[in-house]
Amino acid sequence: MKKYIFLALIAILLGACNEDKFLKETPMDFMGGDNSYSTAADFDLAINELYYLTRLEFFANSDRSIDFIYGTDLVFEGSSEKSNLLSNYSISGTIAQAHWDKLYLLIAQSNVVLTRLPKSSLTEAQQAAFVAKAKFFRGLAYRTLAYLYGGVPIELNEVTTPKTDYVRASYSETILQAIEDVKFAAEHLDDVADVKDGEVNAAAAYHLLSELYLAADQYQNAIDAATEVIGNSGLALMQNRFGSRATETPGNVYGDLFSMNNQNRSSGNKEGLFVMQFETNVSGGSSNTSYNFWDVGNYLLERHCAPQVAHFRIILSDGTQLTPFSWPIGDFTGGRGIGTAVLTVHSGTEVWSSDYENDLRNANCNIVRKFAFNNPTFKANYGSTFGDSIDLDNLPAGVTFITGLSNQSTFPGRYLCPYQVKCTTPYHHPAALYNTNTATEYDLNSTGGGTFTDQYMFRLAETYLLRAEAYLKLGNTSLAAADINVVRSRSKASSVAAANVTMDYILDERLRELGIEEKRRLTLSRTGTFYDRVTRYNSYYTSPASSADGVGFITGTNTSKYILWPIPQSAIEANKDAVLEQNPGYN
Amino acid sequence: MIVLDGIIYSNSLSSINPADIESIDILKDASSTAVYGARAANGVMLITSKKGKVGKAKISYSSSYSIQNPSKNIRPMNRQELLDFVKENMWNKAYTEESGYTQVNPDFDLASWMPDSYMLNSDGTISTTDFNWWDACTRTGSILENKLSISGGNDAISYLISLGNSTQKNFLLNDDFKRNSVRINLDAKLRSWWKVGVQTSGSFVNQDGAEPILWTLITMSPLATPYNEDGTLNRSPMNVARDNPLLGSVVDDRERHNYFIGNIYSEFQLPVKGLTYRINFGNNYQVNEHYQGSMYSFGGLGEAYKQNSSTYDYTLDNIVNYSGDFGLHNIAATFVYGAFERKYSYTEAKANTFTRMTLGYNSLEQGTNQFATSDANSEAMLYQMARLNYKYNNKYLVTATLRRDGYSGFAANHKSAIFPSVALGWVVSDESFFTIPVINYLKLRGGYGISGNQTYTYSSLSKVSSGAGYVFGDGGTTVNKQELTSMANNDLMWEKTAGLNLGFDFGLLMNRISGSLEVYKTTTNDLLYAVAIPSITGFTSITSNIGEIQNKGIEFSVTSRNVASADFEWSTTFNISSNKNEIISLTGMDSDGDGKEDDLISSNLFIGQSLSAIYDYKTDGIYQLDDDIPTGYYPGTYKIHDKTGEGNITTDDKVIIGKTDPAYRIGVLNTFKYKDFSLSFFINSVQGGKNGYLGQNMSTVTQDDNSRRYNLMKERADLFWSPNNTDGIYARYINAPAFSPTSVYQDRSFIRLQDITFSYNLPKSLLSFVRIENVNFYVTGKNLLILTKWKGWDPEANYGTITYGSKTVNNGGSNYDGRPVMKSFTAGINVTF
Repeated sequence: MKKYIFLALIAILLGACNEDKFLKETPMDFMGGDNSYSTAADFDLAINELYYLTRLEFFANSDRSIDFIYGTDLVFEGSSEKSNLLSNYSISGTIAQAHWDKLYLLIAQSNVVLTRLPKSSLTEAQQAAFVAKAKFFRGLAYRTLAYLYGGVPIELNEVTTPKTDYVRASYSETILQAIEDVKFAAEHLDDVADVKDGEVNAAAAYHLLSELYLAADQYQNAIDAATEVIGNSGLALMQNRFGSRATETPGNVYGDLFSMNNQNRSSGNKEGLFVMQFETNVSGGSSNTSYNFWDVGNYLLERHCAPQVAHFRIILSDGTQLTPFSWPIGDFTGGRGIGTAVLTVHSGTEVWSSDYENDLRNANCNIVRKFAFNNPTFKANYGSTFGDSIDLDNLPAGVTFITGLSNQSTFPGRYLCPYQVKCTTPYHHPAALYNTNTATEYDLNSTGGGTFTDQYMFRLAETYLLRAEAYLKLGNTSLAAADINVVRSRSKASSVAAANVTMDYILDERLRELGIEEKRRLTLSRTGTFYDRVTRYNSYYTSPASSADGVGFITGTNTSKYILWPIPQSAIEANKDAVLEQNPGYN
Repeated sequence: MIVLDGIIYSNSLSSINPADIESIDILKDASSTAVYGARAANGVMLITSKKGKVGKAKISYSSSYSIQNPSKNIRPMNRQELLDFVKENMWNKAYTEESGYTQVNPDFDLASWMPDSYMLNSDGTISTTDFNWWDACTRTGSILENKLSISGGNDAISYLISLGNSTQKNFLLNDDFKRNSVRINLDAKLRSWWKVGVQTSGSFVNQDGAEPILWTLITMSPLATPYNEDGTLNRSPMNVARDNPLLGSVVDDRERHNYFIGNIYSEFQLPVKGLTYRINFGNNYQVNEHYQGSMYSFGGLGEAYKQNSSTYDYTLDNIVNYSGDFGLHNIAATFVYGAFERKYSYTEAKANTFTRMTLGYNSLEQGTNQFATSDANSEAMLYQMARLNYKYNNKYLVTATLRRDGYSGFAANHKSAIFPSVALGWVVSDESFFTIPVINYLKLRGGYGISGNQTYTYSSLSKVSSGAGYVFGDGGTTVNKQELTSMANNDLMWEKTAGLNLGFDFGLLMNRISGSLEVYKTTTNDLLYAVAIPSITGFTSITSNIGEIQNKGIEFSVTSRNVASADFEWSTTFNISSNKNEIISLTGMDSDGDGKEDDLISSNLFIGQSLSAIYDYKTDGIYQLDDDIPTGYYPGTYKIHDKTGEGNITTDDKVIIGKTDPAYRIGVLNTFKYKDFSLSFFINSVQGGKNGYLGQNMSTVTQDDNSRRYNLMKERADLFWSPNNTDGIYARYINAPAFSPTSVYQDRSFIRLQDITFSYNLPKSLLSFVRIENVNFYVTGKNLLILTKWKGWDPEANYGTITYGSKTVNNGGSNYDGRPVMKSFTAGINVTF
């Protein structure tokens, strides 16, 4: 009897395990790739990913998102004692790799959507909406890769087995691929008036398409695409004050474009085409008042572009050093800026010379040149001597200054320089950012430095300038001038005569209208004017004295090196079964 | 892997009371680890806990107290040292060019370079504040341990009850550790053919207290003080994005880890003689809590959270044993069918922006913004094993094992694999023809076996990760996003290692000298590795099986009773081991057509090199002022070795610098006994040989604001190059060079006096009065001395991880940013009744 009990026990235990079922792996806290792309809700999430990645690459990726404005005619490095192009743009450096990887991640996620849609249960009509959105983002990514790196490998499908034999397409092939994608998007996306705030739409796609046609030298197509946007009755340049600071002074309609909560259509803004959305301290909103500058999420334009007024000194004739500014204060002194991106003399002063007093964009509330003192000790002791502000255009006499490292005394300097107020939100930083430990009003936390407003990817004013560029290329300077003047007249600037419209003029107008708002490196690459503009307007890079290797920028034998960014070494090494050719000048 | 009483033990070794241990066996070769499967790939420590013995109950009590301090006196700089360091960082301005930067420049004003306002007085001179952050945030460490163990029994039942307590105050302030543990073992003989038993233990760890973040603490400037003028703590004393290290003292932090183990077994004598059936059911349950509330977090607005996680696993083994003697033949057979499952679950509730933190984490709804997160995962294994042992006259031994393992983490058609092994032994000294008098015992052994290595759970699946993604519109609601984060690998399967080992055990001079020697060679196929793929695909790596790796090595150990007289004994144990690892083959492809198989450079895998090879720019020291320096480099930067001799540095100049694996390891233990006194000391050494056992040890400082702001360890600061310190090994530069190597590598070889213990047993004559069986006093010193060239805290401790290509490994050696390694003195007493 005992024997049978034992044998029965053993048999039960041995037979109890169905091996396949027992060892089957079912993930518990993540979705498997096989069943996550079937319903419309799934694809909504997949498209939200594309918004997230775009916001990350162009704005929220800490210092990397600011790479687009450095190394151009727009700003120079206020912070380092010397520039170092050799190490910044090294083939194994962070700049080359970070953007390459992020843009290809955007392309890969778009490809997943496009490859899975035909296999899903969605109808043709439903699919078309998603295809249009995915292609918009894919086109945007290929466009950016082409401008930065030149021709790049083109991958249009989801990759399901390891592929290590990519080759580079040519620049024009890459641009044509982007055009094909964005054209489909433009023809199938909804109108800007019919979508949610921040969503891609036909107008944004036509704007991007117009820019791509310019890159492909198809000028009439560029004009037609821009006309689709400009002719849209739901879009117009803002002419009157509006929104959250409509009655506050100092202020004007141009400044209103960059005040808190003024960028979306819901707030009355008819000028934004594609606005990247930021919400402070909300999941998915990216901006966060507790993030340090190395954390991903905040757009660090304020940190880079506003001067570091804390170190500015006025030196009396007897050698006493005075500290006029407290820092970081969220007023017109620039919040928690550290002055690493200082406007060049050209973009900060020269381009404004013709309409210095009347151009709204040059008013002190949009480019600060007159800084109100905010250090109470200084105001108490020296307010009578120096007044209530220092004017960079009318400096006090009999004193010297410290404006930068090495006891620099000239302007512009890292510690005090003209800067564009669109990088900050004077008196309107998020409440959670204010330092509650001090009695000083508008004192900011050590986690300050972010720009908390929504950000324009594309704005109608730029569309006018794109069309002007196309007209210029076709030789039609009067139509080009007409478009430029629409933009200028909004800002009460004088009209430009057709005869004075040149590529330089248009690039200068972009500095005036957009400035640090545009990804300047992309524009200079697209127009082929990078080398010319930088050597003319950014002596910081060109003079050997300011260059770390004592050679300077594109002097000597290597005249093409920094025009394109290097293909990252990690990409070349991982692509072991074919060769990715490196860009000229890098090794 | 640790196996306690037949069940895999996942808690820490230190929570087992040594008084509860009956025996420890170490198993290394494929044949012995075949019993325990893939997780035993790196060896098994078999611990058997005591069962009570029949007779009077035995009681043992032990107590000890230790004091700990860092093994080296490394500390951050004080005010003057820091100012001198900052001046050296400005060497091209602080000294005159004509003097070759050795004479001070009279026009140089250090105060004008100090970057932050708190560093200066109102008149522009440098503040005299000299706050000692290191002393404020560290203390002498101490450990107090008490253990009590009771065991006994009769014919029917035997028991073991054990209690323990450990209270530790560690070197960093608020880094406290308290543990209470309890163990109860019971074995009962219910019938002559039926035994049951249970082994249970509980271990309760309290790690409350938020310690300062070490790297932040080191960087705190002596010119900054932790307190505001009103006496409250200043959240960021240097007005930069680094929290005050003392914040931990005012934060409410509760951290608990509770471990429960319950094993139950039942063993039946089956009707056939020598045949038994045993069922083991082991359970491990671990519960972790981490609750914290701090008004200083989240930018000073306050944040509190509660994190709860639990891991539960069970092992169910059915074991059938047969053992029989037929004359001089002895046969034993074992068959095992078992299953294992582990489940993990995690929940976090978090809130930020509090008006007051009075209720803290007990009332998270007081926070304005509330978040909830949860995670879970599971894995399972199913295994069968059959083993046959044959002995003839205790002289010839054969063991054959066949094991089949299945693991849920592999791809669908590759979940299981078969691992055979065989071992032979021959006690040569028992043979009649063996007549060497000196050798009283000689056993030859050899074995061959295949064992497997498994991957992490979910590695073969394509994964989609989703979470909060975007917000449309001002004041809109959060929408989620989903990202395809990994490619599926439908071929992911077991990594197999085939190993051959040969050795002999010997005893000389009636076991006065005994030891063993073993050589082995193993070949691993289908190595599990995260292979790098171009980011153009959207992924950076994929876990695959690739290649063929070979390991060859030798291990030798010998114990000698040098002197063995009535009152005095001296014995020495010595062991040495060496392993050489080499990649034989990878993908088998030759895409660049050079006639040799391709390396996988971006995965850091090179044919003919070790898995731990380092591929980087080699450095030849630091450029001096009068060196011939190429474009893009300056005095004070690392001199990169120009392998190609082209005059400029390109990626072609990368070389295999060496490897992180050691060349050989040595241990020596000496024990001296004189009457009731004994002294023992243990010396441990790991050597790198020609270019092995390398660790990353690079430091650079560049002339910018941060180099004038942050503090460093004094010893590290003294190693930076400057014209006044041309022997400096760390780079100090005015401008960043064109190329920086990923790291600079240093030899970690060391010889360490790891342990020295002096103990005294009270004479038995004294004890017999009070019926105490034994009283033993001891003092121990740990980690008292080390000989090494490594710069930093300790060459052996790991610090963080580093990534080579697509591979992330432990960063060997703790340099100046790492955690201190402690030396300690312990005094203790053991009493047995």
